[in-house]
Amino acid sequence: MSFRFFFSEAMNSLVRNWVMSMAAIVTVLVSMFILGLGMILFFNFQDAISDLRSKLEIEVFIKNTASQEEIDALGVEIRDMPEVKSVYFVSKEEALQRLRESLKGNEDVLDALSGNPLPPSYQITLNNPDQIEEVASRFFDHPIVDNTPGKDPPDGVKYGGETSDRVLKVTTIFLISGAVFVALLTMASILLISNTIRLSIFARRREVEIMRLVGATNWFIRWPFVIEGVATGIIGATAAALAVLLANYFLVQNVVEKMPFLFSASAVPIFRLTLFVIAGGTLLGAVGSTLALRRFLRI
Amino acid sequence: MINFDHVSKIYEPSIIGLKDVNVHIDRGEFTFLVGHSGSGKSTFIRLLLKEFEPTEGTITVAGRNLQRMRRSTLPYHRRNIGCVFQDFKLLPNKNVAENVAYALRVTGQPIRAIRRKVPEILQLVGLGDKMYNLPDELSAGEQQRVSVARAFVNHPSLLVADEPTGNLDPDTSVGIMQLLYRINRTGTTVLMATHDREMVDKMRKRVIALEDGQIIRDEDKGLYR
Repeated sequence: MSFRFFFSEAMNSLVRNWVMSMAAIVTVLVSMFILGLGMILFFNFQDAISDLRSKLEIEVFIKNTASQEEIDALGVEIRDMPEVKSVYFVSKEEALQRLRESLKGNEDVLDALSGNPLPPSYQITLNNPDQIEEVASRFFDHPIVDNTPGKDPPDGVKYGGETSDRVLKVTTIFLISGAVFVALLTMASILLISNTIRLSIFARRREVEIMRLVGATNWFIRWPFVIEGVATGIIGATAAALAVLLANYFLVQNVVEKMPFLFSASAVPIFRLTLFVIAGGTLLGAVGSTLALRRFLRI
Repeated sequence: MINFDHVSKIYEPSIIGLKDVNVHIDRGEFTFLVGHSGSGKSTFIRLLLKEFEPTEGTITVAGRNLQRMRRSTLPYHRRNIGCVFQDFKLLPNKNVAENVAYALRVTGQPIRAIRRKVPEILQLVGLGDKMYNLPDELSAGEQQRVSVARAFVNHPSLLVADEPTGNLDPDTSVGIMQLLYRINRTGTTVLMATHDREMVDKMRKRVIALEDGQIIRDEDKGLYR
């Protein structure tokens, strides 16, 4: 009903206690900026990691003695596995062709070979790279897989076992530590806003007492404080969002060219990130002031 | 209007605020509550406002039992009681008009009504030309007039004044008294705690004297003594 009144009350208080308000705004600004920056890094790493992981594949080498029927049967078997995203058959000829390309300039080395010693193979990519080891192990004992006898683990199946393990571990650690860091920052911001509103309540203790005496309802007293907290959050977060936009711009401008393997311009959904930062700051303000009201404005 | 039935208030630890007080005040009465500091005047008033609960007994204001009142309806109870205090209790950051308007805003009155009523009441208390001054730009007497205006602007059925002239010089006090008297003449019940001997003797109204939390005297057209 009297939102305009509450709003102007909140703004007056914000301006009147501008030192405290500034402190809270800067706090929100800093923590939301760090959060935004963290998100930019997070998106980039995630992009890089998923890029890396999507490149993980299983190569199954097939004995030169295997018949075409056996090779086709294996292909069908692979295609029927639910985990498999795509299968590509590399024939002997194609394998040689690839080797030739990779040796560009030194192709004459191959002329020393008699015939084509390279085995045909299947290249398999999975829907979920986490399952790579499990799927790869199914081929270890397959009769037509080209294992050197007596080798353990079998060398007829290549799936970058260690690399994939390490990538998975790094991803997990990165995700967990990122989440912890962001959680800590969020908590710090909430506490600081809550503290600012608490100070604001203390500064206006007499006023609150008078409000009660003239018969103001609890929410009539509370609304201006809530709006003050939310406004603090919005102002700080908007500034943070601008800073994040700038930071992303410089990152794209300066770093992406030098380290394209780590950063890519398209990795960050910057518009959504900006909205997220502003919404986050608003939420911080609301939660912070509610916390302060619950503890210090018992009516 | 006000009924105290065997009301006691014991503060921790065993400090007596009020002891077995029985009082009945009729609608439209003008009553003085006299006694030394610490005799229980303020306890009496704060119980009326339901700032805390009595240890024993029941209090009825305007036909409503305060002990049975839910906390959520407390603000509505307070709107029915205008309050004037020794220290004025004005909002220091709001000008005179806004201070008075606040009491109306709280009750959810439309802005048009507020714009009409505030100058009206300020005219009535003789501050029509100081509407836009801040409280600390006014004299003590003027501040108390603002406080009276705020207490009366909702036309409550009961006006409670806790030593309203305590900080004022005698001439200014007379002005405030006249104001309260006029408010009483409109049919509003007025209860005034005071130790202003001269004023009580001059007015010849009902006097309830408290000492150590007990009523020692209750007479119509009484004197301070």
